[in-house]
Amino acid sequence: MAGLELLSDQGYRLDGRKAAELRKVQARMGVFAQADGSAYLEQGNTKALAVVYGPHEMRGSRSRALHDRAVINCQYSMATFSTAERKRRPHGDRKSTEMSLHLKQTFEAAVMTQLFPRSQIDIYVKILQSDGGNYSVCVNAATLAVINAGIPMRDYVCACTVGFVDETPLADLCYAEESGGVSSLALALLPRGGQIALLQMDARLHQDHLESLIEAAMTACKGVSKVLDEVVRQHLQEASVLTRE
Amino acid sequence: MIKTDKILHLKSCRGRKVRVVREHYVRERVPCFSSLCQAGCPNDGKVLPEDLTHYVVPDAEVVLNFLEVLEVRELQGVVFTRTACQALHSKGRRYYNRLRNLLKDPRHDCVLFANEFQTYSYCPREKGESQEAWQTRCVYAAAVWYYNHLAGVMNIVMITEDKNAVTQFSSLNSGVFVISLEDYLQDFWPDLKAAQDLYSSISQALQEKEAEDSQREFPEHLPAEVLEAGIKSGRYIQGSLKVSKHRAQNEAFINNDSLFSKNTGVLVFGSKSRNRAIHGDLVAVELLPKSEWKGKVTALTEGQVDEKMGEDSKDKPMPTGRVVGILQRNWRDYVVTFPSRDKSQSQSRNSQRILAIPWDRRIPKIRISTQQADVLQDHRVVVRIDSWESTSLYPNGHSVRVLGRAGELETEVQTILTENCIHVSPFSEAQLREMPVNSTEKLWTVDPAQVEKRRDLRESHLVFSIDPQGCEDVDDTLSVRSLADGKLLELGVHIADVTHFVSEGSLTDLEARTRATTYYLADRRYDMLPAVLSSDLCSLLGGADRYAMSVLWELDAQTLAVTKVWFGRTLIRSSYQLHYELAQALLNGEEAEVPELARLDSEERGIRLTELIKALETLTHVARHLRAQRDQGGALELEGVEVRAQLDEERNITALVPRQPLEVHETVAECMIYANHWVARKIQEAFPYQALLRRHPPPRQELFSPLVDTAKAAGFTIDTRNNKALADSLDRAVDPQDGLVNRLLRMMATQAMSQALYFSTGSHPEDQFYHYGLALDRYTHFTSPIRRYADIVVHRLLTAALAVEEGAELVKPQSGNKELEELAGHINSRNKAALLAQKSSVGVFQCLFFKERDPQKDPCCVADAIIYSIRDNGVLVFVPKYGVKGPVYMTNRDGQVVAVGSDGSCEWQSGSVRRYSDYISTTSCCGSASFRLFDHITIRISVTTINCHADTLNLQIISNKPHCSAAPQQSFSQNRNQMVQEVVRLAEEAQEKAALKPKLSKEEREFRQSRSPNLYSLLEEVRELALMDLEAVSQICATTA
Repeated sequence: MAGLELLSDQGYRLDGRKAAELRKVQARMGVFAQADGSAYLEQGNTKALAVVYGPHEMRGSRSRALHDRAVINCQYSMATFSTAERKRRPHGDRKSTEMSLHLKQTFEAAVMTQLFPRSQIDIYVKILQSDGGNYSVCVNAATLAVINAGIPMRDYVCACTVGFVDETPLADLCYAEESGGVSSLALALLPRGGQIALLQMDARLHQDHLESLIEAAMTACKGVSKVLDEVVRQHLQEASVLTRE
Repeated sequence: MIKTDKILHLKSCRGRKVRVVREHYVRERVPCFSSLCQAGCPNDGKVLPEDLTHYVVPDAEVVLNFLEVLEVRELQGVVFTRTACQALHSKGRRYYNRLRNLLKDPRHDCVLFANEFQTYSYCPREKGESQEAWQTRCVYAAAVWYYNHLAGVMNIVMITEDKNAVTQFSSLNSGVFVISLEDYLQDFWPDLKAAQDLYSSISQALQEKEAEDSQREFPEHLPAEVLEAGIKSGRYIQGSLKVSKHRAQNEAFINNDSLFSKNTGVLVFGSKSRNRAIHGDLVAVELLPKSEWKGKVTALTEGQVDEKMGEDSKDKPMPTGRVVGILQRNWRDYVVTFPSRDKSQSQSRNSQRILAIPWDRRIPKIRISTQQADVLQDHRVVVRIDSWESTSLYPNGHSVRVLGRAGELETEVQTILTENCIHVSPFSEAQLREMPVNSTEKLWTVDPAQVEKRRDLRESHLVFSIDPQGCEDVDDTLSVRSLADGKLLELGVHIADVTHFVSEGSLTDLEARTRATTYYLADRRYDMLPAVLSSDLCSLLGGADRYAMSVLWELDAQTLAVTKVWFGRTLIRSSYQLHYELAQALLNGEEAEVPELARLDSEERGIRLTELIKALETLTHVARHLRAQRDQGGALELEGVEVRAQLDEERNITALVPRQPLEVHETVAECMIYANHWVARKIQEAFPYQALLRRHPPPRQELFSPLVDTAKAAGFTIDTRNNKALADSLDRAVDPQDGLVNRLLRMMATQAMSQALYFSTGSHPEDQFYHYGLALDRYTHFTSPIRRYADIVVHRLLTAALAVEEGAELVKPQSGNKELEELAGHINSRNKAALLAQKSSVGVFQCLFFKERDPQKDPCCVADAIIYSIRDNGVLVFVPKYGVKGPVYMTNRDGQVVAVGSDGSCEWQSGSVRRYSDYISTTSCCGSASFRLFDHITIRISVTTINCHADTLNLQIISNKPHCSAAPQQSFSQNRNQMVQEVVRLAEEAQEKAALKPKLSKEEREFRQSRSPNLYSLLEEVRELALMDLEAVSQICATTA
């Protein structure tokens, strides 16, 4: 019956982080030459690969095209080897469809789609290893990929999950924490303006705590955005050094 | 922060092994919590002192098995590692919480070091390394880190039970010693006998466990996941197991609020289906098929003697189940008695295992392995249960502490305290150091800075207190005056400002919080606060300047409607310290001597006296009005010592002391209730989600049925629809011939009530705030902060509420809803324990009182009793003279029944008993007799001595006529007081005797005489007999025969 103690009295979490500390984020941009943009991002042990094609002409049915802006097409998938137990994951199952939809909504809010009427942008994200916070890792990876593709965005979209334990918000949950019965909230933020691109929460939470939880999530997102910004700058520097030669 | 990966192999739910990778972050700055730290660790909270010879780091295994030894307060400088913590956590939540409490407790000198998160003390588990070895290595690494971190200033001792580790590590580092726990205790703490005994008793219990044979006695418990799933699906019922007090062998019930709200619960019949659950455990039960359901037994049984009655005399069957698993053990410390040798020898000749019998009948016998069995015969000992394997009929335990020989007063009182989980040690040095000083050399005076901040009522108000005579801790005072030319009245209640002296989080505060209340036993009390506060600085003594928290109402002089309320901190000087009798005498206009006025000349005395009497009269007038208001709402007046003390604002729970129902009592109580009510409103408005209030839930209707039935027998109807109807019908139910009838009915009504409880407003909907007994929508406790911790909390809340009002930055209330609810639960349980302890201590004294008396001769042992309930084989009676309730049997063990002779005297004869709804009749060869409800009978009180449990009073009927004693009727409470004094005196005498004894034995040794009676003394006795007159001799013969 002894459940895990998610936050010890001294303020340590299961993996040794403090409540507001993020997992270690590592990222690389431009990992595939064939795609227009691509990025690989590790957040702790959750690893994701994002690939962006476009903007290009509408493929498939042309009737879906919008006359004033681009259509964003997202596809989320998990590798069969991404979890502890190998599991075949067919395309189009409920979970990944939902996740694709969430990603689409997020990026529709961030990408300046009105610049590309009657065209399409494809974002493919694959989780290579899953250890909690899949959605937010996907968003962060896709942001880098979109930037890599040179598609104009209003701002970085940074996402982070937060949980609520013992009246304390925990930033960036890992799988053990997510499955340990924490009410978790996922938030995607455009950090400069502080606009929320997406906010999702399925668990029960007292209304009084919501504000502090969102506050914590926003701080965490801003932390992520700093890391992403650094990655982008470093990538640019490398790229410019290469082109100069 | 550096990220590493930790690879675990876990079992998945389907039983497959899964490789799980978890992140693990380590960092360099992990606080060490030592005051010697030179690296500037952010140590907040408890730190280890620097004046120790060494720090001790226990290994995970030591923490797992010997946590109790480490709990000994004398062991200082203990560093628990996170590794050990995690190991304990996987053993069970209960153990882990114990460690957490230990770490939080400022009185224990121990800290937690998060060794696994420190870069240099973290060692990843190697391939093929066993968990135990890895844990030991981790702990050792932590010990080495500590040594280096403190720059070698402090020696570190690591204790482990692993012999290999001792040899492997001991010579690696110079400042880090690795030894076993046994050696550690012997080398470093040779004086600490208690810890060593504890160690040996635990290790013996562990060895026994290993050597256990494997014959199954009980079915295995189901695993936790299965139970959880079963409870969710409704297959199993979850609830806490309550063992019946009178039929502990067979009957136990599961109380579950949600499922069986109408029913009394689920019956668990027999020890097999109870399956190793112990009273108080949280269990899951499975219902048996309906054909196997059993009924509850309503017949009176004599202790645990005759079980055969259960089979035939059951009434309607109720849901019956069996325990399939235990969700949470709720084991506490138990008091057991070691049986005398002749019994124990037959059980266990070659092993040292003893079956000790718990004091509480609801607990099964506990098997204890000890080498001190001979010494501990007939002693009461505190034990803890270690485990109960399915192979064993009894649980295994180990002894912790010896209380003393059974039957002695001190032992019995300690037993009561332990059984109710009351731990009261004297206040420690550190706590007393926090206290302000008030002695003759250094008088405590009012701080001028405080005078600035407080409203000064010393000159403007006439403040006085009314308390029982000889009361030391005066925590409430009253004042009343008229304002605006008599158009307004100002009523004031001034409560001692305890929170000024006890700041939150201080040692005194923590101690008070754990005690939660002052414990009143029959002959002593254990204060919640140190004496310097409770009877001096916080006590609002007459003529002394004191800080107070005041509530002042402005009332309209005519309608007595409240126009304004003021709350705040004040400075008062009580002018009169009255007692109830004196105040009543003044009110009645009788001549009374007010001690405060004795020294004044007659003229001034007259003026002062009229002033005081005027104030008292106004007060009474206001109180009557308030009472009438509440009566309209349906406030109850209940009888019964317990509830009375809890409902009203009587101070010294000398509530054992008689309360001649004076009107002044009511007046004071009414004012206090009013103050409590207004404070409750105030704090609830200020903190809607985290205010501490007190609620009294309405009673369950079915619990009233005995009351209604009994009343019907006496010809009254009781309406229990709501509190108003109940109060009215109780008022009507008065028998003009027998005043006791009403009292009994009120007592039964009290029994049907549920307890009033503290709660936090955030965790209950608003419609449950109602106080049923007082008929108020919101109520709290505010007026006795000296003896109740709840009042201290309420004082703090009120202070915070006032600060908010004054526009201070939104002051955070001290604690959130969750903490407050936890605290409320704690206070409730402590209050319950205090009540139980008080009740059982009175019981002990009653027994000791009657034990000294010969029931056949002493007139004290014969008393009048009134029947208030009928059972299958007897009746329940109330003895007004001693305030005792108990069963009187109509049948004895040989199947004989009570027969009534022509003169009313009763004797045993063979016959039969029949029970009817309102009377019970016995038929025997000399006719039949019946006993009705509310009949007065004469009973004889004797004591049944049972070595292992509390003694019980035995009531035996000797006549069906009311007993008319020659002695004038005394009120029972006076008798009680007498009784307590008498017993204390006897105990003291016994002690003196014991002190004399060693002297005698010394003489004996000198003259080398044997202690058994020798021929000389025998002859001496014969000579004395010869000198006595014949009458005396015959008397002696009669008594010895």
